[in-house]
Amino acid sequence: MPIPPGFRELTEAIGFASANGPWFEKIENGRLIRGFLPGPRHANSLGIVHGGMLAAFLDSAMGSTVFHTLQRRCVTLRLSLDYLTPGRVGDWLQAEAEVMGHDEQVAQVRGRLYGPRRDVLGALGSFSLLSRLRPPITPATTRSQL
Amino acid sequence: MIDDAPPAGFLRIDFDRGRPEPTFNSHIGNLYVRKGEKDTRDEFVMGFRVHRHMCNPAGGLHGGMMMTVADLVGSMGGTTLIGLRKFVPTVNMTFDFVAPAKVGDWIEGRCEVVRATRSLLFSNIYLTVGEEKIVRASGIYKIPSGDGQAFGKARLDRGAEVTAKSSTT
Repeated sequence: MPIPPGFRELTEAIGFASANGPWFEKIENGRLIRGFLPGPRHANSLGIVHGGMLAAFLDSAMGSTVFHTLQRRCVTLRLSLDYLTPGRVGDWLQAEAEVMGHDEQVAQVRGRLYGPRRDVLGALGSFSLLSRLRPPITPATTRSQL
Repeated sequence: MIDDAPPAGFLRIDFDRGRPEPTFNSHIGNLYVRKGEKDTRDEFVMGFRVHRHMCNPAGGLHGGMMMTVADLVGSMGGTTLIGLRKFVPTVNMTFDFVAPAKVGDWIEGRCEVVRATRSLLFSNIYLTVGEEKIVRASGIYKIPSGDGQAFGKARLDRGAEVTAKSSTT
């Protein structure tokens, strides 16, 4: 299955994100959309996508949405996930998020991960906003939560 | 490359016996389990060593890795504690990321069964480095009716122990 048009691979990902990638991203109407194509190494023993993989992917998309929306890097404080339907290996999965509100320290974010047919995972999270003065984490990226 | 060097009593979980390709649980790195005395906090302990490929760009253990392991502790640990051998799909997980962890740390996960009904398992999970808690999580898992799906192929890699036992039977 080909990668849908408009997505670019996050080649700047390192560590956990690159070891479990490749992950893709596009900006559509000002909104950030993440995507990935699950293979066997993303699956559990039942052959469906592992809940931990889905959690990692959506968490990252939510943190990146905070950066995209507020231009603030962040770390996850709390994440609550509802597993709605199984994610299938070979189905292109996408994640989108929305900043529902924020103050100087914390942003409240709603996230959604979905496949070609239905929603797979719903999420609500609190993200701690890092100091504006803090320099980027690595020279390779200024983006949080890759 | 650092060595896992698991503390005494931890056995690696072999999730993929005979599979051509690793599944997610093996792909993320070695996970270990130590089983202790019944009805103690050490009855089921999952552990792993933090490697660079489990980290975020800042060099801290990635939240995705913490969530994956906490989910497994709640499901594998929770079913072990109530004596159930079924695959229990996750319905809800809530995580609080209370402290970071770094490369080289040995992480342990323990769970407490809050309640098990006929169809649902509620558990609390803590991940710790030494005495320090790094993640508090709560999980809700579905207990399938009937036999459900088998727990998969996961087995503890007892190595020589297994060979010795099978040669005597």
